[in-house]
Amino acid sequence: MDYYLGLAQTIGIHTLLGLSAYVLMLTGQLSLAQAGFFAIGAYTAGILTVLFQWTILPALVAGALVAGFFAFLVGFPALRVRGLMLVVATIAFSEFVRMFFFNLNWRQTIDNIEVGPDSTQGFREIRFFSANGWEPWEVTLFVWFFVIAVMAGLWWMDRSRAGAVLRAVGEDELAAQSVGLNLTAVKVAAMTVGGVIAGIGGALYAHTATYIDHLTFTVLLATFAIAYPILGGLASVFGTLAAVVFIQGILIEGLRFLGDWRNLLFGLLIILVMNLKPSGIFDARTALLVKRMFAFNTKEH
Amino acid sequence: MEDFWYEFVEITQSISDGLLFGSTYALIGIGFTLIFGTMHKLNFAYAAAAIAGAYVGLGMLSFVDAPAIIVFLVSALASGAIGYVVYIACFRFIPVDNPLAALMTTIGGLFFIDEVIIHATNASPLSYPAIFDDVFIEIPPYSVRGDLLFVFLIGLLSMLVLLFVLYRTRLGLATRAVSQQNVAAQLCGIDVHKTNARTFVVAGVLGGVAGAMTAASVGVLSPLITLPLTVKGLIVTVIGGLGSIPGAIVAGLMVGALENVFLYVRGVNERDMYVLLLLFVFLVFRPNGIFGRSIDRD
Repeated sequence: MDYYLGLAQTIGIHTLLGLSAYVLMLTGQLSLAQAGFFAIGAYTAGILTVLFQWTILPALVAGALVAGFFAFLVGFPALRVRGLMLVVATIAFSEFVRMFFFNLNWRQTIDNIEVGPDSTQGFREIRFFSANGWEPWEVTLFVWFFVIAVMAGLWWMDRSRAGAVLRAVGEDELAAQSVGLNLTAVKVAAMTVGGVIAGIGGALYAHTATYIDHLTFTVLLATFAIAYPILGGLASVFGTLAAVVFIQGILIEGLRFLGDWRNLLFGLLIILVMNLKPSGIFDARTALLVKRMFAFNTKEH
Repeated sequence: MEDFWYEFVEITQSISDGLLFGSTYALIGIGFTLIFGTMHKLNFAYAAAAIAGAYVGLGMLSFVDAPAIIVFLVSALASGAIGYVVYIACFRFIPVDNPLAALMTTIGGLFFIDEVIIHATNASPLSYPAIFDDVFIEIPPYSVRGDLLFVFLIGLLSMLVLLFVLYRTRLGLATRAVSQQNVAAQLCGIDVHKTNARTFVVAGVLGGVAGAMTAASVGVLSPLITLPLTVKGLIVTVIGGLGSIPGAIVAGLMVGALENVFLYVRGVNERDMYVLLLLFVFLVFRPNGIFGRSIDRD
């Protein structure tokens, strides 16, 4: 049972990661900075609960806000460039954050144990949940509370003016600009929201994993973040969730019997899928096909 | 005064070592830029293919005993062959106007090549042969490492060969035609796919030289090199201006020199952070790079 609860937590956290990239992707920007924001959220919340003995909720909010703040800061220079240049800039940001935490050494003795980030050794003993007697199902519920809140928020946003603005910028920047939208403001806002969401995900990750180090937050994690919305399509937030369930639940857990070969398969699979369907698995045509199928079914029954 | 003189010698020594080693970054940067120039796409698997080529060269050593120079040559050729495979797998069947799909396929290629290397070597670093690593050219108060000088000269030679290929051969003419006007080149009877594939092979050979030289000057080959080399190659490409070969050369040497100064001043763990910061400095003040035109921005 604990295994499935752990899997549910992973799926929830990765959904948050995917949604953080989804928001920015609505504006037509592809960012690999998500791993950096995730790391900032993870380390900030971890440091607050371990070194400052905060409870989880304020620590999580602080982690999200700090990640959002850095997303806001990095948004200005990074969003001056577009497309592939933005990809390079955001990779550089993620790597910078990773190197920063690689070098971060902040040890303190609390309750006669030395705790805190230990540069190359990573950050152990983020034990808020077990120290306060949380059951695994309570932790899972806690994670999914945030997943559902963020999904509901984004779903609602998509139906409001804000969603229309984001998609307008994503569809055609020139047209969006000519109806009076401030491109920089829209993109930086999307980047900030994405940073906050990734920060929540990172904070949850740090406390469910109890151990984080710089190797967790590499380009691989950033690639996962953008792979979910690319695979799930941008039609709605549920596409991202479906992609996470597919990759984390079915591919990664289902192929566990392959052992180390699984990682080999991951790269090949990306190449194969993108060759067959360059604009994502659930692109507009597939979405239409699924819709037709459903319409057909409802007529039948 | 004595202290100041000592510091000055140390720093200038770091800069000169860095400039010599920076030629490998310049080669990687040229490879990225060359492919961006012809296809307007980034090949993220490029540095991984370069390192994989170096591994093939090393693998040959376990069958036959060969001098280091042959290992370098095999590394370069193998990397060219891998470049061709990468073109077929990651670019050939991806729509021309979809750079993001090619981005995903090449990131997939990067992971795949990385994992193959990790599988084949059990992720343990292997030692790589070097030439002139016991030679030191003393020009008091400075000394120049023989192997780094060799790396630099090989880098310079490869760049000259590349420029010759680009500006004095039919292949170079076709490559430049495709990069300037894809459709017009096609109308003139140039086979775009074939030209692109050849450009990938040329870039791959260049990357193989860079991979072999990186491994030779560090002395070991490890899968841990691929990601930093990819990131540094991309930084060099962006700082130099996407699509600009002189830009990549200047930026490569510059990153190599500055990196060594950061290494001397702040130590090995923090070195890469400052190189990454350098990219942001350029993004803020000169987003098109040293030699890039504003059209090349996207």
